[in-house]
Amino acid sequence: MGKGDRDVRMSLQTLKVLEAFLNEPADELSGADVQKRSGIASGTLYPILLRLESAGWFVSRWEAVDPASVGRPRRRLYRLTPTGLTRASEVFASFGRGVPA
Amino acid sequence: MNGRNVIDTHGPGGWGNEVAQRLIHHAARNAPPPLAERLGEEWLADLAARRGQVTRVLFALGCCWATNVIAREHCALNVSAATAATGSTTMTTQVLPNLTFLPRRTTVLIAIVGLHVAIIYAFATGLAHRLIEPLQGPMTVDFLRDPKPLQTPQPLPNIDLYRAPQIDLGQAPLIDTGERGPDTITLPVPPVVAPLPPQRPTPPPVKRVSGGPGKGFPATDDYYPAASIRLGEQGSAAIQVCVDPSGKLTAEPQVMKSSGSSRLDEGALRLAKAGSGHYRATTENGTPVSSCYGYLITFNLK
Repeated sequence: MGKGDRDVRMSLQTLKVLEAFLNEPADELSGADVQKRSGIASGTLYPILLRLESAGWFVSRWEAVDPASVGRPRRRLYRLTPTGLTRASEVFASFGRGVPA
Repeated sequence: MNGRNVIDTHGPGGWGNEVAQRLIHHAARNAPPPLAERLGEEWLADLAARRGQVTRVLFALGCCWATNVIAREHCALNVSAATAATGSTTMTTQVLPNLTFLPRRTTVLIAIVGLHVAIIYAFATGLAHRLIEPLQGPMTVDFLRDPKPLQTPQPLPNIDLYRAPQIDLGQAPLIDTGERGPDTITLPVPPVVAPLPPQRPTPPPVKRVSGGPGKGFPATDDYYPAASIRLGEQGSAAIQVCVDPSGKLTAEPQVMKSSGSSRLDEGALRLAKAGSGHYRATTENGTPVSSCYGYLITFNLK
């Protein structure tokens, strides 16, 4: 998906995903981690992650491990971009909630 | 996909994991080609972090749904990009992928299986019973009294069975001595009258009060068969019990009239047996006596 700082439609689920990242903005989270923090079902979560990545709010990379040595597949890790952090903070500020602690 | 071999080799087993992996592979195949490999590996990695068979299957089903959404959005992006580049909308039909992430036959099969599971679940948990519960009235227990009240025996009529027939003395036969002449004597036979027996006294009327379930008798609800509750069965069974003066059963209770359900009849018999020692004995003139009587046990859903 192409990158670009596009507007993202803000749904409650999207806000929950952003909130999961804003708690620790420097963290890199896999889809399973985000789902654990936000409680969103996988059918909703992954389209949101791709949407935010496509909009330039997130970047993602493969986990730097050898699957054979760790005994599991590589995870895809997502992280907020500076743009994403700014925009997400603005969104929460506009809702009057402030940035989650 | 790199993760496929890895998770097949090292991932936890179980039917849920097997089904979930198949669903994820299927979902990834139907994802837009540039994302198919990435999503497949990413989802398999996240699947490995799940615990529980059902959780894994639900996760994989969610991925199938996610594929559908991602494909639509990807398609919309391509169409808008193509339209912007060419100024034509004729590419729309060429760009639109097959958005059905499950074959039609599989979808129908899943729907049928899901429907059956829902119905079985409803019966197993008594959900159907709770749905019809508002239509039912309160549970009542009616005890069957003797169909005909016992009547005080009528005093026996004074029939004199021992009265001997009266013999007419005037017609007494002559006794022939075999001789003729003045020596012939004719003796009258004295009448034989049998003595009358003494009259039997009339028995006093007996006031009989039929027994029934008494104090401490078990609650009917406790013996409502669980299967009948699930099936919504209701009915009344007439049970005959034989009770001694202390209220204990002297014989096995019998079903006089079935409720129409063998389960309810069994429940009624168990209740009748459990009530031994808690029956009110039938009284005659206030004195408890042994007797057999019937009563009605009604199972009604509340």
